[in-house]
Amino acid sequence: MKGQLGLRQSATPKTQVHHAATHALQSDGRSSVIISVFSTGSGIGKTVTAINLAASLANYGHSVCLVDLDLQFGDVVNYLRLQPNRTLFDACNDYKEDKKNFHIEDYLTPYTFETAGGNEVSFDVIAPPKTIYDAYTIEVAVVEKIIKRLKNFEFVICDLSAVFSALNIAVLDLSTVVNFMGVIDFMPSVKNFKLGYDTLIAFNYPESKIRLVENRSNSQKLISGSDVERVVGAKFYYNFPNDFPSASKSIREGKPLLAVAPDSALTRGIQSLAGMYSNRPQIEIEHVGAPSIFASVVKFVKDLLGIKSLAR
Amino acid sequence: MPYRVVLVEGDPLMMDKLTDIIQNSPEFELVATYSRYDQALGQSAIHNPNLFLLDLENPILLENLHNFAKNFPKAKILGTISKWSEDFAYKASVAGIDGCIIKPFTPAEIFSAIELYAERGKKAPPRIISFFSPKGRAGRTTLAALMALHIARKSDESVALIDADLQFGDLPIFFDIQPEHSVVDATHDVSLLTPITFKPYFHKLSDRLYLLSSPDRPELAELVAVQDLINVIAMAGDIFRYVFVDLPTAFNPISVGVSEFSDACFVVSMINTNLEIIHMKRCLDMFEMDKHHGRKIYPVFTRVNPCNEEQREKMSLELGYDITAIFPNEYSLVSTANSGQILRHVFPKNNLMIQNVEKIAEQIMSNKM
Repeated sequence: MKGQLGLRQSATPKTQVHHAATHALQSDGRSSVIISVFSTGSGIGKTVTAINLAASLANYGHSVCLVDLDLQFGDVVNYLRLQPNRTLFDACNDYKEDKKNFHIEDYLTPYTFETAGGNEVSFDVIAPPKTIYDAYTIEVAVVEKIIKRLKNFEFVICDLSAVFSALNIAVLDLSTVVNFMGVIDFMPSVKNFKLGYDTLIAFNYPESKIRLVENRSNSQKLISGSDVERVVGAKFYYNFPNDFPSASKSIREGKPLLAVAPDSALTRGIQSLAGMYSNRPQIEIEHVGAPSIFASVVKFVKDLLGIKSLAR
Repeated sequence: MPYRVVLVEGDPLMMDKLTDIIQNSPEFELVATYSRYDQALGQSAIHNPNLFLLDLENPILLENLHNFAKNFPKAKILGTISKWSEDFAYKASVAGIDGCIIKPFTPAEIFSAIELYAERGKKAPPRIISFFSPKGRAGRTTLAALMALHIARKSDESVALIDADLQFGDLPIFFDIQPEHSVVDATHDVSLLTPITFKPYFHKLSDRLYLLSSPDRPELAELVAVQDLINVIAMAGDIFRYVFVDLPTAFNPISVGVSEFSDACFVVSMINTNLEIIHMKRCLDMFEMDKHHGRKIYPVFTRVNPCNEEQREKMSLELGYDITAIFPNEYSLVSTANSGQILRHVFPKNNLMIQNVEKIAEQIMSNKM
């Protein structure tokens, strides 16, 4: 990790960063869209988003590979109840041993589910290493090569961990867009969301590459999304509706939202986001406003955030 | 009343220098000087001294240092060394003397050292306690802060919180402070510091509770080398009797290195989707592989509902490891931390979260954990 962040600010000019997709040309000359799902805090729905984004894109007919890059505590496999034969760890080892005979297909774990409407939908998963010890031995440069080998997929979704590690930075570099997520219900979360955004901007990524996504956007909370937009200095690209029951049901049953809660607000939210990433007409989402029982403290928190001084 | 000083020094030139300094200060009365340890130990009592300055670079004296602590329990005992060394400082704490000071010193430095070590608390080695979590948002920082707060309030000993979550440390925001110094400055300077010059790097939060903050920008985290951070934590242990270190999430060089150095490590996870049991098991398996480091590992879960003994046993069975403690969800803590009011907030006596935190803190204080 040493040296990754500090060096960035001067070393990566704007014009050089957006070449990532050109590394992953498909057979017909098109490039894969690599979407990394990233945040600077855990437990905010990265994995739920990554899995359901993959499921929604696959449901739209795209070929999708979901790569779990939270190497130590990744939950894609646990969530979808997969039992992968081979993992990223095997892929990295085999790639290093024999690049010529390396076939990425051998390391994919297929996943198929049935939507509530009866459609069979499939996408592929690259599972994280089976043990933390294995995770520790993974080399960033090899993971980059492996992601580039996924060029036959239209979409590659990378589920990252919540830290600026060498691996995450390399993958953010490769990504077409960064789906940068936050749950804005807690002061430290706001601070970390802003720090994360500022750091991404300091990498000289074009602003269009970073898509701010707010999760649980209309839950009861002290801090409103528009306040956060003012503090961060950028607009949310998408706001997921607050729909904890559906997310929770999906995790409990180990299936994507399209299978267990097809009509829920969150399912439609994620489909809508998938639609935006794949150029589809937008679905109308009904946001259910929750009354704030904390109204009396809102002002205090805003003061603390310094929002008062930021005139509209 | 001036301090009645016994000086033990093996180097004649240094002896002259120190004698001069002490004799020229009205705050001190030099009652005896010795070059040999056995004479000093055997004969000092007759002079009724209340301050010993002992040459720790004398190996026989160092070996028998505990005898001075035992024979003169009411006197202040400072070990004198010519260059700061954590090895000497640790041996001094094991022997039960007040602490160490660099020689030659000024009278003011002697007073600073006496004051610093008196505030530290018990003359015993520090408790270095780290807080690890596989993922963020687990309640790790909250637990560390609440335990530190309780010990600082209930004991006569001092407590340091060190925010080693270098990219996204939340302790400054928990306490609503804008610190002047951070872990980055401390690790940069540590090789040049002594406890007296290091203490101002800590932000005083309340009586006996201090914070060394994380840097305010994530990229600064890269400036921190693990060994330097460990040196910082070791020196913090010379100043504070309890050092609580909030680690970055997951296994990385910082969290692995510091948790190995600590004598106890709380592994904190929050119950949310039940996948956390899997994460905890992975962590504990990893710590188990590493158990030769001798630190004690305490798995704890937050946001547990129902939060009772039966549930703890049930979860322990599922995990395959004994869970040390479980904590309920506590919404009021969110708004308390949000508003930076954690120091001033008065929790109701029957609050289960606080009760459970205090139970653990009491066990740490009585060395049962």
